[in-house]
Parts: sequence; C-alpha cells; structure tokens
Amino acid sequence: MSLESAVVQPAPASGASGPGRVGGAPRPGRIVLHAVLILLSLLMVAPFVWMVLTSLKSHAEVMSYPPTILPSVWQWVNYPDALAFAPFGTYFRNSLVIAVSHTVINVVLAAMAGYALARLPFRGRSVLLMLVLATMMIPTFTKIVPQYLLAKTMPLFGGNDFLGRGGSGWLDSWWGLIVPGAVTPLAIFLFRQFYLSLPRELEEAGRLDGLGEFGIFARVMTPLMKPAIATVALITFENSWNNFVWPLIVTRSVDLRVIQVGLAAFQQTDATLWEYMMAGTVLATVPMIVLFLFTQRYFVQGFATAGIK
Amino acid sequence: MTNRHRSALRAVAAAAAGLVVLAACGGPAPDRGGDGAVSGEISLLTPIFERADGAAVLEEQLAAFKQKYPGVTVKPDYTSYSKLNEKLTTSIASGQPYDVMLMGVGWIPPFAEKGVLADLQQDPAQLATRYYEGAVDPGVFQGKVYGLPIMMDTRIGIYRKDLFAQAGITEPPKNFAELREYGKRLTQRGPDGKLLVAGLDVLGIDPRQAFLTLLWAAGGELFNPDGSPAFNSPAGVKALQTMTDVIQTDRSEEVGWTVPNSPTGNVMAQGRAAMLVGHHNFWTAIEREAPDLIAQDKLGFFVIQDERPAIFQGGTLATVAAQSKAPAAAKALAEFLASEGPALAANQQRGNIPALKSLETSEFVQQNKAIQFAMQHFDAVHSEGGVPAWLDVRDKFKPAIESAMLGQKSPQQALDDLAAETSAALAGR
Repeated sequence: MSLESAVVQPAPASGASGPGRVGGAPRPGRIVLHAVLILLSLLMVAPFVWMVLTSLKSHAEVMSYPPTILPSVWQWVNYPDALAFAPFGTYFRNSLVIAVSHTVINVVLAAMAGYALARLPFRGRSVLLMLVLATMMIPTFTKIVPQYLLAKTMPLFGGNDFLGRGGSGWLDSWWGLIVPGAVTPLAIFLFRQFYLSLPRELEEAGRLDGLGEFGIFARVMTPLMKPAIATVALITFENSWNNFVWPLIVTRSVDLRVIQVGLAAFQQTDATLWEYMMAGTVLATVPMIVLFLFTQRYFVQGFATAGIK
Repeated sequence: MTNRHRSALRAVAAAAAGLVVLAACGGPAPDRGGDGAVSGEISLLTPIFERADGAAVLEEQLAAFKQKYPGVTVKPDYTSYSKLNEKLTTSIASGQPYDVMLMGVGWIPPFAEKGVLADLQQDPAQLATRYYEGAVDPGVFQGKVYGLPIMMDTRIGIYRKDLFAQAGITEPPKNFAELREYGKRLTQRGPDGKLLVAGLDVLGIDPRQAFLTLLWAAGGELFNPDGSPAFNSPAGVKALQTMTDVIQTDRSEEVGWTVPNSPTGNVMAQGRAAMLVGHHNFWTAIEREAPDLIAQDKLGFFVIQDERPAIFQGGTLATVAAQSKAPAAAKALAEFLASEGPALAANQQRGNIPALKSLETSEFVQQNKAIQFAMQHFDAVHSEGGVPAWLDVRDKFKPAIESAMLGQKSPQQALDDLAAETSAALAGR
C-alpha cells in the first residue's frame, strides 16, 4: 500500500452509472440541480464579463445611456493606453515578487508551525493554538498603525541604531513589503488540520527508519500534503496580490508600488476612467485566474479534507 | 476599500494622530537651515498630480524648483485624496511626517491643532492681495497661516439652456422656491410615469457637499464661533427639506437616478437632467463626453441662492511639517508650488480653479466657462470644516442626509441626531 493511499481522498465524481442516473437517463432532480448551478454560475461570472466588455468600450460608450452590452467598436487600444497611464510593468513586477515571497515564506513556515501544533506534544500547545486563532479575529485596520511603528523602528535597518532610533527602519523597503504579514494564522491552522489527518503509522514508520523529527516532517509527512500546500499557496498568493492598504502606506517610492495601488490611479476624486480601470483590472486578474485553473483540483480537495481529523 | 473600512481606519488614524505630542498649538516657523542655506532632502506627499500625466507635470515643476534651489532634493510620494488621511496619519504617528504635505480644504485645523503643521509666518491680509480671499481662509487657523492655496474647486448650479427654453424658463432660479418650481416644470416623465428627464439633480455629488451648498445659501452656518454644531438651525432644516422635497414631494428626481462619480455616465450630458448642483469640472467631462453641448452653447451656470448666494469650495493647499528637518527647503517648495507657474500647471492637469488672481487672465481659464464663472463669483464661496474634529465628523453627514431624503427621518430629526453625534465626537477629542 502506498503512503498516498493512507490519505483521505475525495469521492470520485459520479459517472455514467452513478447515483445521478436511472437506467441511463438523468434524474429530474439532477437536471434541476444542474440548471440551478448553471444559473448561479452565470450570475457569478456576470461581473467579470461586464468588466471585460467595459474594458473594450470607448469612454463615450461607457458613459452613454442607455448602456450597451457589447462594444459598438472594440477598443483594444484601451489596454496599451491603460498601461501607459502609470509604470504598470514595475507594479506587476513588484506585486509578483511580493506575492511569490509571501507564498514561499507562508508555505514553509506555516507548515512547520502547523506540524508542531498537530504532531508535537508540548506544554501549552492548545493555548498556543488558541492564541494563533485569536489573531485572526483582530481587524486588519486596528493593526496598521502598530505595524507601521514596528516597521519604522526595526533595529539596524534603514539607518536605525540597535534600539530602532534615528532612521526609517523597514519603511519604503522590500523588507517592509514582504516581512509583515508573510505568515498567516489561517495557513498555520489549515496545515495543522491536514497534519492531524495523516495516520500516526507513517510517523512511526519514519522513526523506525531512523528519521529525526525534521526528517519525518520534510520527507514523510509534507510530501503527502499537496492539497494543503496548493490551498495555502493559492490563498496566500491571492491575498498578497490583492493587498492594497499596507503597500500604499509603507512605501513612499513609486518604484515600490504594487498593481492594486496603480489601479487606484484611474479613480480620482471627481472622475473615474472606467474603461482604463477595467482594462487594468482585467490584466491584474489574469494571473489569479491562471493560478486557480492550475491548482483548483488541489484547492477544492484541500478544503474538502481540511476539517477531517 | 469599503466605506466601513475607511471609517474604521479613519478612527484609528485619528487616534494615531493623537500620539503626536507637541507642546504648542502649531509648530515653529520654518526658517533657514543651520547653515543658512536652502538645502537638504525633503519629502512631498501629494494627492494631486495623479497618474503618469500628473506625475510628468510635477516632475517638470520639480526640475524648475531644482534649478532655483540646486541644494534641495525633493522625493515625491503620490497618493489620492481617498487615501491621503491614512498616509498622513501613519507618517505623523511614526514621527516622520512628510516635509511638505498637500491637503484639502477643511484639513488644516485638525492637523494644525495637533502641532503637525508649521506656521508659515505669512500675513493673511497680504496673501489676500495675491490670492482670492476665499482661497486663503482655509489655510488659516487661529489667525496663523498654515497652508498656501494651489487650486480650488467649486459646486455650482449648472443647467441646460435648451431645456430651459423648451419649458419657457428664461433665467436661472434665484431662490429655493424657484429652484423647486423650475425643477418640477423641467421634469419629464413617460406615459407610464417613468422618469425620462430629472428637472433637478441633487444626487450627482456627495450629499454633504450638496447640503452644505444649500445650507449656506439659506443663510446657515456649519459651526458656531465656539465650534458647536450650527447646521441643525432653521436654515439647515430648510436646506435639507428642500433636498428632500425635490425627491419625495416634487419627484423631480428619483433616488438612484445618478450617483457621484457614476459609472453610468453624466446625466446632463445624456440629456437626462435639466438642472443640477454639480462640480465645476463638469465642464471638462462634457468636453470629453458631449462636446456638442459646448459648441452649441447649451450649458449655463448659476449660483445657488436663497437668503444669499453660496458656492461650496474645496481645494488643495501646500503645508509644511513642523518637524521638518529641512524647514527652509520645505517652505520654499510650498511657496513654489503655490506660485504662478506650478499652480497653473497643476490646475490645467486637474481642470481646477487657480487660487491666484493673476491667473484669471490665463488662456486655460479663458477657455473654460465653468472656471470663469466660479472665479467671477468667488465672493460667494464658503468652505467646509473649521473645527479640529472635522475629519472625524464629516463622514457622518452622508447617512444623516440620506435618511431624510429617503423619508426615514424628518430633516429636523436627521440634523438633530447628526448634531448630537457631532457634539459627542467633538467632546470625545
């Protein structure tokens, strides 16, 4: 029996002879279910379709009444024009660097923390888990000022002395963009749930083979965690890619700005360039869609089994 | 970011600003640096000069500033007005405020009171010889000048001359009664009662700005001299009653017909509004969306009036941080940005009204009838704010005004509740 077989796998989708068919014909209930799901899917995709169509209209057409559904003239030029409004190449690069860094850091460190909370018996483990979960309940906006002050007073960075005085610390630097918020309590919790679901026999077999604790974690348990890794990676990447307030506040240089901050430039106090904003948003959304397409199987599997102990 | 998030962050930001402990009300006056020269590296936070085109304008101006002051290096940080408060307050809380901060009308008292801003040691009366007096006042707090005006923006009455002519109306309304009456006459509905043309649009700008315009026109004030709320006076009730009646009684417009900064376009450009209370940069939008209206001279402007004429005025002012490490350089930059060349460039880029009187003859102003109109009536401008807690309370206006317009509360009740909320916020500082 392979190690993978010990892991809970999701039930296979119903096939031609599955529970949804009677004598080769689909049940009426099944038809209704699919109809409802299709309708809901269309509702879900409608805003995205509207975004794409708006990105291809002229400004006059976006502002016309009654509104049109399809562009009368497909304005593909909106895309290069939108990109010319701000240094979007730099913004994309910065967002990508931050999102990838966050993803790698979160997957590695949260997996270790999750493993420790799930498999290592130590005093105060439950209390520690509760504290980790409690941090998820603190509203983001109440943490911004303290986090900003922490970044600013980081010792020995940005001209600061060893007490964190005299300089700018991590402000307006890659450190400030990447380190704060890199490891999330949600990721730790998800990993813990996954590690709990793995059978103890695997751990014991590793010990019998002479592996240390880190060896068991890295060579036995974690290779079986693809759904968890994919889930955490996707959530982390998405959150990091969409982060707006912290990158705006912690940076002062245009060179360090991210895609979401760049998109905000299309929305001024008294006017919004909707066609360019939608074009930019389409481009900013594409990486997330591609990522989800590649990882959705693991992602769904991850959430389906995260609660199983 | 949602309004709820913004409100939460504002509350936190306001608390953070409170961390700034400075002895005096208003920092020391910027003076020449220790070596007597205007030099050093200074940071600039700007909510204008947005996007690549705006940044290009600013870079050009900063190059000219560099020529004038070779020893000064300016590091600009671009943001938007919607995020300006967050940027300001976090930087202030960290003890590293930007050397030069551009901020809006109504923003000076809150930051000056906390000692964040430097007294620019200018005489308001002397400034008023070069700038419009209404543009100078928002930069003054307790008699001292903390901000120099760069650009102004206004909310005025705008109407379609062709639709007025069709309805047999020969001139703009002179009081609220005429405003409502004309609104009713100009409203067009289909056989099924469906609204086709709103006679009077009061929903196209922020409800607070629309209400304040009418409040001042009714002879009211936002705050009493002692800083207590004055907007729930009979004049305030009359202003809000007028806005409510336009929707509820006259049915000259319907809730949802338009919203500020609407993605569905400009109702007047689309011929779906005959008259509105709007931003002067409406002209710029019409140039883009319906240039024929300008070519055929179909647009007219008027000052909202009842007991007196009133124009709502916003704007952008240049301030200097009291804690600036290069105060002379920072002051030089603030003065430079408020001077003719840079101010004209900034106003052109944004379609706003120069605060300098000398720019009234500029080609930019001469080509924009809305700006010309606003400048000709600058004696009627009123500015919001005036109390240190303004940034904490201004967002409370919108839900209060909307509750009256939706018929959930009477105007008197809505304003009384808002006044109580405002008083509590003022007392809690």
